Amino acid sequence: MTEDRSTGSAFSRRAFLKGASAAAVTGAAATAATHARGPVELETFAPGTHAIALQVNGKEQKLAVESRTTLLDALRDRLDLTGAKKGCDRGACGGCTVIVDGVTVNSCLMLAIDAIGKPITTVEGLAQGGVDHPLVQNFAHCDAMQCGFCTPGMVMSSLQCLNQNQQPDRQTIQRAIAGNICRCGTYGRVCEAVERTAAGRGDQALRAPAHGGSK
Amino acid sequence: MKEFTYVLPRSLPEAEAAAKKPGATLKAAGIDLVDRMKERQFQPTEVVNLLLLQPDLGGITADADGSMRIGALATLAQIAASKDFAAEGYAALREAAGEAATPQVRNRATAAGNVLQQARCWYLRSSELHCLHGKDGPSCLAQVGDNRYHSVLGYHDCVRVHPSNLAPALLALDCEYTTQLAGKQQRRRVADLFPLEPKAQLEEHTLLPGEIVIAFHVKAQPKSARSAYRESREKLSFDWATTAAAARVVMDGGVIQEASLVLAAVAPVPLPRPDAAKLLIGQKPSDELFHRVALRAFADARPLSHNAYKVQVGQAIVREVLHATTR
Ligand SMILES: Cc1cc2nc3c(=O)[nH]c(=O)nc-3n(C[C@H](O)[C@H](O)[C@H](O)COP(=O)(O)OP(=O)(O)OC[C@H]3O[C@@H](n4cnc5c(N)ncnc54)[C@H](O)[C@@H]3O)c2cc1C
Ligand code: FES
Ligand code: FES
Repeated sequence: MTEDRSTGSAFSRRAFLKGASAAAVTGAAATAATHARGPVELETFAPGTHAIALQVNGKEQKLAVESRTTLLDALRDRLDLTGAKKGCDRGACGGCTVIVDGVTVNSCLMLAIDAIGKPITTVEGLAQGGVDHPLVQNFAHCDAMQCGFCTPGMVMSSLQCLNQNQQPDRQTIQRAIAGNICRCGTYGRVCEAVERTAAGRGDQALRAPAHGGSK
Repeated sequence: MKEFTYVLPRSLPEAEAAAKKPGATLKAAGIDLVDRMKERQFQPTEVVNLLLLQPDLGGITADADGSMRIGALATLAQIAASKDFAAEGYAALREAAGEAATPQVRNRATAAGNVLQQARCWYLRSSELHCLHGKDGPSCLAQVGDNRYHSVLGYHDCVRVHPSNLAPALLALDCEYTTQLAGKQQRRRVADLFPLEPKAQLEEHTLLPGEIVIAFHVKAQPKSARSAYRESREKLSFDWATTAAAARVVMDGGVIQEASLVLAAVAPVPLPRPDAAKLLIGQKPSDELFHRVALRAFADARPLSHNAYKVQVGQAIVREVLHATTR
């Protein structure tokens, strides 16, 4: 994660400032002026709501969050993206896994404000124009779910595995999904779905990694 | 989580100024912090985010003297995958970082945050229970309660355990760390980061309020150095260690010349065991020797009512880590 965060953030913060009520941000005008030029300075999010913008599944989404709002709550409650699940809310189940800035994260332990300016991919991003990503097709084909509660998170960790390895072996897949608990015990079939996808099965039109899979 | 003011500094001086305010706390990825804040066990009024200080605090880079600099914000995943740590001498760092938690946690958890995360103890981490450590309670509840995951060594009036994977590896390699406070940088040994007598009333680390960890420094390891990290745990993933050990050994002609051994997850601080390590010097590696070292490492163990298993399991982990460094 060595890319220049300041430029990425400066852009989104401009978007954020446009939508923000003046009172919500300390020194908003001064900050907006410096953003355009380069050196950016301290920002403060006081208690209360703030308008921000997040880059979700390739689209900029404006939403209101508090400083304490987690990315998971922002996605589920503000953007109605209910794919990511709240299992434990403590980093201990993986149900809330999404991809931020090219890596899987527990969105329940990440503040929404920390995701500003970073590409976010949720499971909803894997169905575009009514066509499912081959990995999703293969989850269905392999019947890699039972109750399905862990599945969105499992899919995101599986996608990350494929983004990092074109031909992952069993052990690599097992390590990649080691942060996702499945109470129904679907692990074996999840591995099969990943292997099938790696082998090029499923409709490959959407094989290219989704947004944010750049690293 | 209670509401707080979220401060996003863009420079170290800004961060320092913000951290000086009463009620302010520093935050890296926030994995430990957000967890404690959700629990309402910790309720800072100002949270100072360090994540935008990547230029000063990020990355893993080489210094002019050949030592490696692990930025405070370097993630466990970056450390585990770093080509700079490919040599055997650095293996303890890679293994410790790569075995911690889950892929999702390792992708965000930072080096400084990992070393400075709060101790594990279900009494101390609960907002409803008032124990001795930081909560003005009457006693250490774990001493009489369920203490299966607590300390067996080096404790005083509080039996919490230090849970960091990275800390014992940094100690085994005798690493240093740099901090910044009031515009001044200081470089010290990682051993100085932890109190010698980890009492309930004391902080878990020796940083002053508002002192910011900038980086850890790993000395250039000679080709003949090998290090390793091994741990026991109840589950293959997700779990904190029940016992852990990091070791570094330098051999010449089949004989051990230098050795260090650090235990973790068995005491309120990561615990160097110099007396046990000394038994290795001038010796040829053997299981019999490692057995003696393991006994020595736990010689002063005082297990609690539910964690006697940690002594035997910890001894096995010591033997394993020593085999790994001398194979
Ligand atoms: C399910 C699960 C399993 C886990 N298993 C393990 C495990 O096996 N081994 C392990 O080691 N850990 C484990 N963890 C803990 C995890 O590794 C830590 O929570 C994480 O490393 C904390 O890093 P952070 O960057 O999020 O720190 P934060 O939560 O942001 O900060 C932690 C503390 O460090 C302070 N701090 C952070 N950076 C600095 C700095 N630069 N200067 C001064 N102070 C600073 C903060 O003020 C805070 O007090 C697990 C966590 C979860 C959720
Ligand atoms: S809800 Fe985030 S890990 Fe369980
Ligand atoms: S399918 Fe039920 S939890 Fe995984």
